[in-house]
Amino acid sequence: MRKDVMGLIYTGERDQQLRELTQERAVAAVPLCGRYRMIDFPLSAMTGSGIRNIGVITQRNYQSLMDHLGSGKEWDLHSKRSGLHILPPFMTSDNIGMYSGFLDALRSNTDFLKRSKEKYIVVTDTHMLFSARFDEMVDAHVKSGADITLLYTADATLRAQGPGRFIQVEEDLTVSAIEVDPTLPRLPHQYLESFCIEREKLIDLVDSSVSRGQYHLTRDLLMSGINNKTLKVNAYEYQGKVWHLDSVQAYFNCSMDLLDPQKRASLFPQDRPVWTKVRDEMPSRYTPDAKVENSLIADGCIIEGTVENCILFRGVHIAKGAVVRDCIIMQDGKVHEGAELQNCILDKQTTIREHTRLIGPRTYPIVIAKNQTV
Amino acid sequence: MLRKKRCVAMLLAGGQGTRLGILTSNMAKPAVPYGGKYRIIDFPLSNCSNSGIDTVGVLTQFRPLELNAYIASGAPWDLDVSFGGVYVLPPYQTGKTGEWYSGTANAIYQNLAFIAQYDPDYVLILSGDHIYKMDYAAMVQHHEDTNADVTIAVRQVPWEEASRFGIMNTDAEGNIVEFEEKPKNPKSNNASMGVYVFTWEKLRKYLIEDEANPESSNDFGKNIIPTMLADGQHMVAYSFNDYWKDVGTIESLWEANMDLLAEKPEIDLHDKNNRIYARNMGMIPQYIAPDAKVDNCLITEGCEVYGDATHSILSSGSVVEKGAKVIDSVIFPGARIKSGAVVRRAIVAENAVICGGAAVGEDTGDIAVVGNGVTVPEGTVIKAGEQFA
Repeated sequence: MRKDVMGLIYTGERDQQLRELTQERAVAAVPLCGRYRMIDFPLSAMTGSGIRNIGVITQRNYQSLMDHLGSGKEWDLHSKRSGLHILPPFMTSDNIGMYSGFLDALRSNTDFLKRSKEKYIVVTDTHMLFSARFDEMVDAHVKSGADITLLYTADATLRAQGPGRFIQVEEDLTVSAIEVDPTLPRLPHQYLESFCIEREKLIDLVDSSVSRGQYHLTRDLLMSGINNKTLKVNAYEYQGKVWHLDSVQAYFNCSMDLLDPQKRASLFPQDRPVWTKVRDEMPSRYTPDAKVENSLIADGCIIEGTVENCILFRGVHIAKGAVVRDCIIMQDGKVHEGAELQNCILDKQTTIREHTRLIGPRTYPIVIAKNQTV
Repeated sequence: MLRKKRCVAMLLAGGQGTRLGILTSNMAKPAVPYGGKYRIIDFPLSNCSNSGIDTVGVLTQFRPLELNAYIASGAPWDLDVSFGGVYVLPPYQTGKTGEWYSGTANAIYQNLAFIAQYDPDYVLILSGDHIYKMDYAAMVQHHEDTNADVTIAVRQVPWEEASRFGIMNTDAEGNIVEFEEKPKNPKSNNASMGVYVFTWEKLRKYLIEDEANPESSNDFGKNIIPTMLADGQHMVAYSFNDYWKDVGTIESLWEANMDLLAEKPEIDLHDKNNRIYARNMGMIPQYIAPDAKVDNCLITEGCEVYGDATHSILSSGSVVEKGAKVIDSVIFPGARIKSGAVVRRAIVAENAVICGGAAVGEDTGDIAVVGNGVTVPEGTVIKAGEQFA
C-alpha cells in the first residue's frame, strides 16, 4: 500500500449509451450486482490500494451519485486528513455544466489538484468494470520512470463489443501507438481508461493543453505525446476480467457473467471488500414455495416464486407463482402473482402486475424504466 | 446543540451468559449473533436510536473485546454524535481501589459520573439479552405524564411461567403496589421486562444509599425496586405486549431464530420506519447455485448455498456446500457446512467447519451446538443437546 497517491474518478461522459438505465443517472450511478453502483468498484479499488484522498468529477445527472456517496463514510473517506471530494461542474461563463473533455474537467478542478499533497495521482473512468491494484500500478510507474502509465488489458474478447481505445504495448512496456474508437481496431491491447501520473506533471500538462485549445486526454494529449515522442508513455497490464458497460446488452451480459463464481471472484477479491451505501435490510426470506437457482440475491428480498439465473437487488418481492428467468430486478421491484419474465432489466421500484408476461429476446433485453408499473 | 439530554440509556450487558454454554466462551452475551445478520445488542441499540435516545452507556465486564470491536464508534446505529453517543463502560481502577461490578445497581453506581455529564432528566435502564422492538420514547413520555419516580415495563406472561419472573402487582391506575421476585404463588402475571425509566435525581439518591448499605447485593430487582416501593415512591407499570423474547439459553436463542421463519413473524424486521441496524460486513449478495435447494430460509449477504437448506437461518458469509444438508438450524457467520455433512436442530457458531460425513444434531430433542472456530472432523456424530467445542 502506498500513502503518496491520490485518486480521481471521472464520471458523466457517454452517459447516453445505457438507454433507460441512464436517463436519470450517470453511468457511475448505475446499479450493479445486487447491491452496488458502478462507482463502488473504482472507489473501493482505490481505498483498497491505500488511496485516501479521492475526487469524483461529476457532470449532469449527478444527484443520485451524490446521494449514494454521501460523506464517503462507507469507504472510510470521512476522516479529517483525507476524504471524498465531490467536484460538480462550476457554472461559469465558459462552462455550461458539461465539460468539452476530460482535460477541460481537470482544468475546472485544478484547485483541487493543487491543494492536494500526494505525489502521484491515479485517474479512472467509470465505464470499465474491474478491480485493479492501483498501488501496484503506481509502483510500476515509479520504477519505470515514465511520464504516464496506462492500465490495459490484453483480453481480446472486449474488442468485439465495439469502440474503444487501443494501444500497442512494446516488450519494454512502452506504448508506441494509440488509436481512438477505430472502426476496425489494428492495435492489440485495450486501454482501460485508467492511468497514473505525478500530480504536478498532470497540472502542468492540463495547463499547456487547454491553453492550446485541447480538451481530450486520449485524442489530443496522449496521441500527440506518443506520436511525437514528447511523452514517455508506459503500460501496466491488468490481468483480471474486464467488462465494458457501453450498452444495455453489455450491462446484461456482465450481470449474467457475475452469476459465475469464478468470474465473480475476479471482481470481488477476498481481502479487499467492495463497499457500498448500506440500507439495513433484513436477510432475505425464502418461503416454502420458493424455487431459486443460480441467482445472486441481496438482502431484504421476499421470494415466494421461481427465480432462475437472476440478480435481485435489495427489497425485491417475487410473489407466489411468479416466474423470473434471466432477469435483473433492481431495488424494491415487485413481481406479482403469476407474472412471467425473461430477459428483462427492471429498474428501481418497478411493479409487474398479476399474470403479466414479458419475454425479451436474449440479444435485446427489455428495459423497464424506474417507477413504472406494467 | 443543547448541552443536556432528556434521557440517557444504560445497557446492562455484563451477564456472562453461562447458560449459552460454549457460544459465550469467547464473547459477551450481547455480541452473540442472531437472525442472520444481527447481534443481540443491535436490538436495544437500534431501539434507542429509533426512539431518539442518542446517549448510551454499555456496561460490560466479561470478554468485552468482541463487543467493543462491534460497537466501535456507534456509526451503524447513528450513535456517532458529537455530544452523546455510545460508550462501552467496563469497570476501572480509581486510585488505589477499583472493583468489578458486583451487581446491576453497582454497575450503574460506578458510572454515575458518566450519566452526570449529560445532566439528564431521565435514565433508561436496559438489559442486553432480549429480542424485541420497543419505542422507549413512548415509555419515557408515559413516565413524564404520570409524574412517576420510576416506570417499569411489564408484560403479561403465561400464568404457569409467572413464578420465573419479577411480578408487579398494580392498582387500577397502573401504579405498582407490590413487587414479588419469582413468587411461588403469583398474584398477577405482569412480569418485569428489566426495562426501567428512572427520574435521574431519584436514581442517584437510591444508588448512593444502596451502595452505603453493606447488606445489599446491589441489584435492581432485589434491592433498589423493593426499597423504593417501601419508601412510598411513585412507581408506575408500563405495559408492553409486542414480541419480546429472552435469548438467554441455547433453546430460547434457537427458538427466537426460528420465530423469524413463521409465515407471519411476530417481529417485523422489514419495517422501513423502524429498522434494526447492524454493522455492515461489506459482503456480496448471497449466491444460490444451480442445484441448490432452499426451502423456508432466511439467508443474508455473503452466503453461498450449493446444497440443501431447509427451515434454517444462514448468517453472513456462511457456506453450504454441494451435497450438504442443513435442517432446522442456525448457522452463524462464516461457518462452512462441507459436502456430505448433515446439520439438524443445531446452532453452528462462527467460523466453525463441519466436515463431510459429520452429523450434527438429531430430528428431535435438545439443540446441538458447535463452538466458535471449531472444526468437526469427518464422520463425527454430535448428539441432540451435545456441545462440541
